[in-house]
Amino acid sequence: MLESILRDLECSARERIAAAKAPQYLEAVRIEVLGRKGTLAQISKELGKLPPEERARIGKLLNSVKQNLETALDSKKGQFDHEALRERLESEWVDLTLPAPGTRPGALHPITRIQTEIEDLFISLGFAVLDGPEVETEYNNFDALNIPPHHPARDMQDTFWLTDGHLLRTHTSPVQVRGMERLGPPLRMIAPGRVFRNEEVDASHEHTFYQLEGMMIDRDVSVAHLIFFMKTLLSAIFHRDVEVRLRPGYFPFVEPGFELDIKCLICGGGGCPVCKQSGWVELLPCGLVHPNVLRMSGIDPEEWNGFAFGLGLTRLAMMRYGIDDIRLLQSGDLRCLTQF
Amino acid sequence: MKFSYNWIRELVDGLDIDPKHLEQLITIKTAECEGIEPFEGSQPGCAPDSIIEIDNKSITHRPDLWGHAGMAREVAAITRRPFLDPVRVDLVPAGPSPARISIEDFELCPRYSALVFENISVQPSPAWLQCRLEAIGLNPINNIVDVTNYVMAEIAQPMHAFDADKLHGDTIFVRRARAGECLTALNEERYELSTGNLVIADAKGAIALGGVIGGLESAISDATKRIVLESANFQAVGIRRTSAELKLRTDASMRFEKSQDPANTVRGLARAIELLNEVCPGIRLVGGLADQAREIVPPPAVLLPLDWLVRKLGLAISEEEVRDILERLQFGVETSSPGVLSVTVPGWRSTRDISIKDDLVEEIGRMVGYDTITPSAPMVTATVPPANEERLFHHRVREMAAAQGYTEVYNYSFISEDMARAFHLEPHAHLEIANPINSDQRLMRCSLLPGIWKNIEENSRNYDSFRLFEIGLEIHKREDAVRLPDEIPHLAAAVYGRGDGVDGLFELKRLAECLMPGAVVARCEPRPYEHPHRSVALRWHGSAVGRLFELHPTMVAGRAAILDVNLQLVYKLQPGTAMYKPIRRFPSSAFDLSVIIGLRDEVGRVGELLAQFAGPNLEALEFVRQYSGPPLAAGQKSVSYRMTLAAADRTLSASEVSAVRNGIIEAMRAKGYDLRI
Ligand SMILES: [Zn+2]
Repeated sequence: MLESILRDLECSARERIAAAKAPQYLEAVRIEVLGRKGTLAQISKELGKLPPEERARIGKLLNSVKQNLETALDSKKGQFDHEALRERLESEWVDLTLPAPGTRPGALHPITRIQTEIEDLFISLGFAVLDGPEVETEYNNFDALNIPPHHPARDMQDTFWLTDGHLLRTHTSPVQVRGMERLGPPLRMIAPGRVFRNEEVDASHEHTFYQLEGMMIDRDVSVAHLIFFMKTLLSAIFHRDVEVRLRPGYFPFVEPGFELDIKCLICGGGGCPVCKQSGWVELLPCGLVHPNVLRMSGIDPEEWNGFAFGLGLTRLAMMRYGIDDIRLLQSGDLRCLTQF
Repeated sequence: MKFSYNWIRELVDGLDIDPKHLEQLITIKTAECEGIEPFEGSQPGCAPDSIIEIDNKSITHRPDLWGHAGMAREVAAITRRPFLDPVRVDLVPAGPSPARISIEDFELCPRYSALVFENISVQPSPAWLQCRLEAIGLNPINNIVDVTNYVMAEIAQPMHAFDADKLHGDTIFVRRARAGECLTALNEERYELSTGNLVIADAKGAIALGGVIGGLESAISDATKRIVLESANFQAVGIRRTSAELKLRTDASMRFEKSQDPANTVRGLARAIELLNEVCPGIRLVGGLADQAREIVPPPAVLLPLDWLVRKLGLAISEEEVRDILERLQFGVETSSPGVLSVTVPGWRSTRDISIKDDLVEEIGRMVGYDTITPSAPMVTATVPPANEERLFHHRVREMAAAQGYTEVYNYSFISEDMARAFHLEPHAHLEIANPINSDQRLMRCSLLPGIWKNIEENSRNYDSFRLFEIGLEIHKREDAVRLPDEIPHLAAAVYGRGDGVDGLFELKRLAECLMPGAVVARCEPRPYEHPHRSVALRWHGSAVGRLFELHPTMVAGRAAILDVNLQLVYKLQPGTAMYKPIRRFPSSAFDLSVIIGLRDEVGRVGELLAQFAGPNLEALEFVRQYSGPPLAAGQKSVSYRMTLAAADRTLSASEVSAVRNGIIEAMRAKGYDLRI
């Protein structure tokens, strides 16, 4: 009799669990059937009235009904949880093609980019990065670099003069003088910065541009070392192996002085419009530091010598980014500057 | 400088390389070529030629290369062929000259030579001569002038022919001009001279500006029958000074300012005799050479130690090879002691170009070919370079500004007077450029703001909103003009938009706080270009470091907020390394307080007071909100702050916390503030 009650109970409870439409129905079944005052608890109270062998058999049955229903409830609850999670995920669709809020990053100036890159390169080679003023003395800009007054080389650098007799540096070479005087030999230094030439402005000429002057002074520095160093440096700047050649160039602060050409990176030396069909592109002036320059900075040229070079940062930036009008660099025009 | 290929070939025996190849050789060994142009003369019978253009800057130091013979000598040395000197000095006649020369200033004129010719017929030059001149860009004029130009183009010796019948007296004076002395030159310009200028004069007055230009009055004309042919040497510095002062550069002055060889005066005359005989039929020399010169001392020989040379070049080179190269270039070479050569420099290389052994390194290097030198790594000590912390700081600021949305601009260092005035900067307080390109670029900026203003105006034509910044130098004139000006790096950043402008100001305030954590704003007297109610000074660690403001609406359409910070100061004020403080182990307690203030009272002041009254256990003070509207009275707002209290060594009890809270309330009330509790 109890046996059939238990079997009916299990059967009807299973039906209700299966038919449950929401978690709260399951909870109702659990309380009604499995709860402390539930049907199964009532029945177990009846067990004591049964004879011992009956009691054991029905007790076992009761336990199995209890377990079966618990499993059924858990499994159904699992289904509900799963369904609920699915629904939540479904409802949380987000369109990530929408733009992110907040401000877009701005851009660094192309010359800043090139300059910091090259500064880092030189620092890794043990060079100090030095600064100098944009307004210079005539002495530092010319005389100390072996360009005395009325030297025709002064024509090579049309100069902005200030009414107080100072001038706007025409190259960053005066920083060499400051570097030699401050740090003395041995010395490895670069001086990047803004320089000025009194020139009419057009697509390829500017009165304001950026240079990086470099200098290395040690006990034994030769032309062979200069070539090696420039080749290493330029290969790092252009991220590829660069072939260089030296030819005579005249700059009063070096002797011998060179123009350094690199094999045209566009045509590989075969000839193209960029290299004017010559296969070579003029890149930078360099040379061994003139003994007069060393002497004027208090360095004994019999004991020390070195090389110096000037890298046109403006020109490098134009080459790197394909900028064809030099005026854009100082135009402040965001249509250009935001591109980098 | 234009070189005729045909002309060079005439002066180098058996030169058999084409113009293109010659151009490459010259570029690699001597001077920079800028290109080759074919030349077909306008005259019938002109031989086709190729004109090689040499960059003047690359021959600044080579007086000899301002003539074809000098270049030919160079080419001969490079190609190992004989150089054919076009000058026959034996043509110069002996005997007294009818002309007398009186040099008063040997400093400015080391040598003056002249010849007198008669029975002149002035006429057009023959076609070959006209072609030669045309080919290198000179205008043929008449046979006499053309010969002087030809000699100049050939051996770099400028010459001048005077009409002898227009000269007064028989003496040519070489003297400094008298103050106020005037000369009408061949170009028909009248020049007022000063005592720094050297003139050629006759008994009556100046007849030429020495080494620069001849006078009009004594110029050759079709009627000229007798000439005085001048071939002189002038000091480079004097020529440069005169030519700069009078803004007059001529083919002659360009050559003399390179320091020509005094030996060339007579060589020039010798060459002219030969040419005049050819192009001026019937011409006769009158007497011999007139020549006055100061004593010209040949420069001492240069000692060249071979092991030093090898070390400088980084190339093993034999004594024979060094000798061969130097001799090809017409240096005199002797052995001074074992391993040391004594090198005599020819006159055309010694006036400026070569005086020390380092100069000879170049001669050997370029002739042997720099491409024969094997690159090798320099041996240097491994040292850590001194860091340039301030520059690195600027780079960090750049990165930060860009990351926050600002695009970097570079502006010129020059501004116009109008731009200065717009920012109430006195033009005369600026450093001024004496020779500006145009009057708009005459003042050195002592503020970045004018440039930023221009950027805002120009970009607002293309964008409704944008952010930009510049890091650049302000250049400040000093009282003491002998010292260099003060150059102070500044950061200027701007936010432009069309809204109410408030967001832009706070964006910039955020940039300032990122740059200077804990910076505070302080009320200040607004400047005329600032919005009077949107302008504050920025202070950091007790120093005024810059300003934050909106540009006055009369200066811009739309809204432009600007931050201007002295980076030199900010760099110096940066705190040192932050040291770790142990994380607090006891919980904190927080409460909110709302203070009623007037609508235009500053919230920041409330925060300052709350912090001041909270005492040592205040861990954080956080602005929550401000509110105006009912139930507050009109003209009032309520400002709420959340205050967090904590102690390092224990948990604060509820009564401790409420004691602090009550204390703050009382103190605020004592200050006259109303609190909503
Ligand atoms: Zn190419």
